[in-house]
Amino acid sequence: MKNSKNSLLAKHFSHIYIEKEIISHPITKIILDKFPNSVLVEIDNYKEVFSRPRQNYKLQEISKKLILAKKKGEFLYPGPPLCHDFGYNHFYYTSLIFNCIFSCDYCFLKGMYPSANIVIFVNIEDYFEEIDSVLKRHPLYLSVSYDTDIMALEKIVPFFSMFIEYATSRKDLTIEIRTKTADYEVLQSLKPSENVILAWTLSPQEIIEKFEHKTPSLSARLDAIKKAIENEWKVRLCFDPLLFTKNWDEIYLKFLNQVFEEVEPSKIVDISVGVFRIPKDYLKRMKRVFINEITLFPYEEDQNVCTYPYDLKKEMMDVFLSNLRKFVHQSKIFVI
Amino acid sequence: MIYLITAFYSEAKALIDHFGLKKLYEPSKFQIFSGDEILLIVSGEGILQAAIATTFALTKFGASDRCIALNIGICGAKEKKLSKGDVLLCNKIINHHSKKTFYPDILITHQMKEASLESFLHPVKKDTFFGEIEGDIVDMEGAGFFEAASSFLAPHNVQCIKIVYDFLAYEKIEPQEVTILVKQCMPFIENFINTLVDLNLKFCTNIFEEEKLRQIIEKLKSSLRLTASITFQLEKLLKSYIIRHENLPEEISEFFNVNVNSKKEGKQYFEKLKKLLIS
Repeated sequence: MKNSKNSLLAKHFSHIYIEKEIISHPITKIILDKFPNSVLVEIDNYKEVFSRPRQNYKLQEISKKLILAKKKGEFLYPGPPLCHDFGYNHFYYTSLIFNCIFSCDYCFLKGMYPSANIVIFVNIEDYFEEIDSVLKRHPLYLSVSYDTDIMALEKIVPFFSMFIEYATSRKDLTIEIRTKTADYEVLQSLKPSENVILAWTLSPQEIIEKFEHKTPSLSARLDAIKKAIENEWKVRLCFDPLLFTKNWDEIYLKFLNQVFEEVEPSKIVDISVGVFRIPKDYLKRMKRVFINEITLFPYEEDQNVCTYPYDLKKEMMDVFLSNLRKFVHQSKIFVI
Repeated sequence: MIYLITAFYSEAKALIDHFGLKKLYEPSKFQIFSGDEILLIVSGEGILQAAIATTFALTKFGASDRCIALNIGICGAKEKKLSKGDVLLCNKIINHHSKKTFYPDILITHQMKEASLESFLHPVKKDTFFGEIEGDIVDMEGAGFFEAASSFLAPHNVQCIKIVYDFLAYEKIEPQEVTILVKQCMPFIENFINTLVDLNLKFCTNIFEEEKLRQIIEKLKSSLRLTASITFQLEKLLKSYIIRHENLPEEISEFFNVNVNSKKEGKQYFEKLKKLLIS
């Protein structure tokens, strides 16, 4: 067979799969307007495409498709034990989108989902209705960007801005939006909200280059954080996950200096710190597809969670925290 | 291996000629042709026949991660917006009778139009069929082929390519005309196959020098008298170290010539080696 000289890969979102039930939903229309050249394929249920057996996650990552669907059943889930609750009693998370435009080697989504394609549940009004009903019973601390990065996806679907607008008018609701984006433009037209915490995941530039593919650089993220703080957004920094790699100690120390040269610690709401950890089953699935420094590390397993061996984890946390405390008061640091 | 499945010899003929395939005298009910990394099987007409032939080929000749299966053949088009001879890549395949739907992963660029295909157990003629047709095009094999092939292969490696023959109003299929139509589409088909092969080659390669690594593991297994489960751990440790440092540590050679007297002693050496490899 002759080798093809043509370019190989279809562009991201070359195909959009749409559940017939939501073809005329307003959010569907907003999304489709952004992709006039995509091939549209009607489906009955998103799982027909998203949950097919034997999909190759690694290959799909290089030519992602969009799947537009209607969420049914549960809309809110209790916060998982592997995540920080930051002292809130009613910690929940929600998933309007499955998967992310970035591709981090350590991301648990690679082990959680059978596909790298991005599912967007367009019926955000049903999520809001469910949150309203929970708020009648008790306050709510809600993470809305665990299974994706909704701020990074704002230009595809405006859930980030819709959530901020919604949360602003709900006094007992605090939402955390976790992100790695550096695109400040999406924040510019929005009013800062007391009920919203923008939580930036930060990693050393060496770690970004090695493990956080297609994500903005550290300096770009820091620029976005500085602008957000200037404009009175509440900002959380997430040093999570800390990763073990060659010269990790030097890399992370240099990193902390760089971060706090740029960001005034007193302007930060709080900080979360944790080493890489992942449910055992997710890691097992990741290993089938991805051969890399993250998946191949000989982790220790405890209660179905894999993480670094005890001594290494302790050393990493001790070194990192003792240096972090030079910049930030202990009361602002949440460790998992 | 690239598996090509066609319903009729007239569809296969153009592929056989183009790729220089030779008849394989394999005892089976199907006509089989093979060439350089290609195997073509003529299934006969119908959803079930296509499923049986596909299963037979992938079972008999093997289905690895990089194998590709393509169903190539003629179809009828529902709408006049398509033209006779149009070559179509199917992005959705519907079994009209079971209502099961299948979706190939289209990860590569191609020069074909795309369409949804609906497979029937019987020929579909406009003047005698009064049911609803969901697909843009119809055939009698695609869904059977796809359901069978996707039991073995990843959805990006299972694809249906159909060529419009009629508009659901045909009287008789002319075999020679079918062969000519498939022949005309060969540039599209070949380009698609090549691109798919490239995708598999480029993105599904193993990054370790497996043979070299295997030798090191065997040396250590023997010198340290390691059990099977510890040897398995060792393999993971070595790969993890190579990924981080691009090579193995020089000190590893010290473990090659150790002569341990018991498994307990071997385990102690393994713990030292483990410490070295987690750094």
